[in-house]
Amino acid sequence: MKNYLELVPHYIRVHRKQNRMSILCIILSVFLVATIFGMADMYIRSMILKTKQDDGNWHIALKHVSDETASMIAARPEVKAFSCYGVLNYRLDMDYTIGGKDTVICGVDAPYVTDIYSGVLSEGTFPQNEREILATSNVRKELGADLGSQISIRDSSGTETAYTISGFMENPSMILRKDVYGVMMNTDAFRSFFPNVTDGEPDDYNSVFMVQFSGHRHLRETIDDIKKQFSLSEEQVTEQAMLLGLLGQSDEGNLFMVSIYSAALLLSVLVLAAGILMIASSLNSNIAGRTAFFGMLRCVGATPGQIIRLVHREALALCGFSIPAALAASMATIWILCALLRFLSPKYFDTMPAFAISPPSIFAGILIGLLTVFLAARAPARKASGVSPLTAINGHVTAAPVRRAANTFFCKVDTSLGIHHATGNRKNFLLVTASFALSIGLFLSFSTTVDFMKHAISVLHPWTPDLSIVSADNSCTVDSALLTELAKHPAVKRIYGRMFAYELPAAANGSQTTVTLISYDDIQFKWGGKYLIDGSVSNAKDHVGTGLIVATPRYNSSSSITTGDTVALTANDGTQNMEIVGVVSECPFQTENGEIILCSEDTFRRLTGLSDYTVIDIQLKRSAADEDVDALRMAAGTDVIFSDRRADNQNVLGAGYAFHLFIYGFLILIALVSACNIINCVAMSVEARRKQYGCLRAIGLSARQLSRMVIAETLTYAVFGGFLGTGVGLFLNRKLFAMLVTTRWHETWSLPVSELCIILIVMILSVVLAVKKPLQNLREMAIVDTISGY
Amino acid sequence: MQILQVNNLCKTYGESAVRVDALKNVSFSLNKGEFCAVVGESGSGKSTLLNLIGALDFPTEGNILIDGQNLFSMNEEERTIFRRRNIGFVFQSFHLIEELNVEQNIIFPLLLDYRKPNPNALNELLSLLDLQDRRHHLPNQLSGGQKQRVAIGRALITDPKLILADEPTGNLDSRNSMEVLDLLLRASRKYQQTILMITHNNNLAVSADRVLHVSDGCLTDLGETDKTEGGFRDEKLS
Repeated sequence: MKNYLELVPHYIRVHRKQNRMSILCIILSVFLVATIFGMADMYIRSMILKTKQDDGNWHIALKHVSDETASMIAARPEVKAFSCYGVLNYRLDMDYTIGGKDTVICGVDAPYVTDIYSGVLSEGTFPQNEREILATSNVRKELGADLGSQISIRDSSGTETAYTISGFMENPSMILRKDVYGVMMNTDAFRSFFPNVTDGEPDDYNSVFMVQFSGHRHLRETIDDIKKQFSLSEEQVTEQAMLLGLLGQSDEGNLFMVSIYSAALLLSVLVLAAGILMIASSLNSNIAGRTAFFGMLRCVGATPGQIIRLVHREALALCGFSIPAALAASMATIWILCALLRFLSPKYFDTMPAFAISPPSIFAGILIGLLTVFLAARAPARKASGVSPLTAINGHVTAAPVRRAANTFFCKVDTSLGIHHATGNRKNFLLVTASFALSIGLFLSFSTTVDFMKHAISVLHPWTPDLSIVSADNSCTVDSALLTELAKHPAVKRIYGRMFAYELPAAANGSQTTVTLISYDDIQFKWGGKYLIDGSVSNAKDHVGTGLIVATPRYNSSSSITTGDTVALTANDGTQNMEIVGVVSECPFQTENGEIILCSEDTFRRLTGLSDYTVIDIQLKRSAADEDVDALRMAAGTDVIFSDRRADNQNVLGAGYAFHLFIYGFLILIALVSACNIINCVAMSVEARRKQYGCLRAIGLSARQLSRMVIAETLTYAVFGGFLGTGVGLFLNRKLFAMLVTTRWHETWSLPVSELCIILIVMILSVVLAVKKPLQNLREMAIVDTISGY
Repeated sequence: MQILQVNNLCKTYGESAVRVDALKNVSFSLNKGEFCAVVGESGSGKSTLLNLIGALDFPTEGNILIDGQNLFSMNEEERTIFRRRNIGFVFQSFHLIEELNVEQNIIFPLLLDYRKPNPNALNELLSLLDLQDRRHHLPNQLSGGQKQRVAIGRALITDPKLILADEPTGNLDSRNSMEVLDLLLRASRKYQQTILMITHNNNLAVSADRVLHVSDGCLTDLGETDKTEGGFRDEKLS
């Protein structure tokens, strides 16, 4: 041994058991931080993938820009990909068709399919001349076209222009949903095809320029520089805010992203504080048990400074094992989560690496781990350095002097002592209570992200179909017998139809309005029950002449029709009364004009005299294949719109899975850490008093009384920590809610009752778990062993 | 009247090569009001004997009867309650509860039994212990001698059948040692308490009525002490 600090590894090797708790605390803290950062990193990666896949890998789009300016911008070294993007008939209102089906026509440059939507080209090559086009895959399937086939685009005047298919594209979800075709030409071909324009500017061809930059570091400066150099206004430059935000390059003026970053910072500080408290209390307990050892070191000549260095070195030496272990555990957790995501939504997350290493997670884990341990070791080190050398000489180690006696007047002596053990040392009481409170505060703060999630991602309603067969003119013309026929197909899980009567003149409560009447079958009424605000769904289902009004405040804030009202509907050449028997908050249809009333099929048919459906929705079994969808499409015929929403649903589900997994993963981790923290606190407190308990047992304290004493102490921490944590947690919850939700969706904060209940239940369960093991140990302890060295 | 009966008590620690026979076939008994000292070298088995009699540890063989009741035929809860009510402990390191004041420490065994102390008896005991003016003090405000007096008070408060004192003067100076010993003797006389005291101070042992010697786990009864040699005791008590 050349240096007194070399004592540290020897000590750690010999006293593994005493250090176990400290090591566990460090592992937990680092694991939490590394997993949080790792999960956030994976989440951002998945969001970047999704954004690039769904919205394209472009950073800015330029409009009202000349070709000359565009080519100058494209020539800048920072620009990796640059493509013109023009579109015709996007809203399907210009009557361009292929084989009689509406067709969306795009004009782009080659980088659009190679860099900006890199996965879009499934086969073939980008059009090399003005007579070539790319077509969506449904063209191949439905028209039997292949590479090199000729197809003709027919415009509203009936003129047909023939093109050769040079490649096929993946079907975008919009194409499947709307049951249309899509084609893509090069920019020259698009401009030649564009009606009524010759030698125009890009604006004249309904075109913009999409720009993808190389590298992500200085995007902000580059964008600002381009704006300045080419005198582009804010209106001319559209940023892909989601992608820029995810890349950390969002505009500072983007309040929403700033709010997210602020919230993340606040949550990180809370995690750091929880880690410091947890490790500090563990180290404190370790130091307190070695007062005589430090006294001895002081006796043999160690200065207080040397003791501080020794304690710091010990704490850091504990990191040697703990941090790599925690990082390994966190990496394994992240891998499991990624694997889970790939399993749950393979289409959506197939590009996510299975065994990704997250540098931010490793960096944050090491940095915050070391920082936490160093900060946490400060107070115990000072405490150790203040030990008097006398303690080693007289062998009598005194804890902090007790200043007041326990109050045995109100409670039994065991309970009183338990409470006094908790509250006797004010500093310790504050530390432990704060530690409990922080756990609750952390959970309540993080739980705001659930509210954020509910607003940020769209959810699938129970009635969301995979396929829809829609009347071409939105009338009740889809044969109701089709429903019975399609229901027999083995791939169909559920099938349900709706009849629509749009904007029927109506009168209610003395005022005139219009009503869109929609029929529901039994299953739809059952789903509607989940959104019932008032009244009864079964009345509307079972009684003819009754209906449910849809309260859609977003569109129809002035609606005054409610349960019990009678609506006089003019339909089928007559006026008939309908009684409103309930109010629901949502339905599969939205309108800005008038009211929506849901009724049974019998009621609808009696009121309107119509019997066929406007829409037939189909939910498919999990095993359903594309061939099944093709068969259903064939069965539906060509007179209807066959809308395939599977890709849309998959996207929503994928985003939902990712968000749910990460948010609930965070919350579960925090709950777990809260539980560990509580268990750790109680275990350390019991361990610190082990000898005293032994002595009390010797003079007649029964095991049951000892249990009561420990439980009273723990409950004291729990009750005070619970109150403090609830107060602090609700304050932070409200603040974060304002930052994450109110700023964007203007929803007001309400008491998070369920979250509060969950964390309090976790806390109670933790307290039960926390006292169970120490009590068992205490019951089994040999009194003689514990009092002998006292 | 026999209060304590120890029959063929054996205590063995470890097995085979590390086997240590701490006590070997120890048998003796104590009568009510008897003050007995146990002497012996360090590691001879004195403390093991005391721990077994106090039901803090379990014998390998043999049994112990206190007031006719076999300690080791009871379950843990019964044994604890029996100990609380019938055995008083006085430790070398006092083992006072730092969070309780003098009065609370003394009445602690009663509180554990959810009983209220008799105020007169408590005052009398505090007076005997010379702690009336210290009754609301915390242990950290007391001297070593005072702490041990509190511990003796705690041992006496339940009027136990037997008081076990393990080196009660081990942490005290000679003046305080004498005071504590004197107190134990007076208690033994006044309350007819049976006391078993461990010491390796022969000067203290001679103050007892009877002395047992433990060596290598074997107990020898040295018989009653010569009262004339313990003149200081009579002098103090007079």
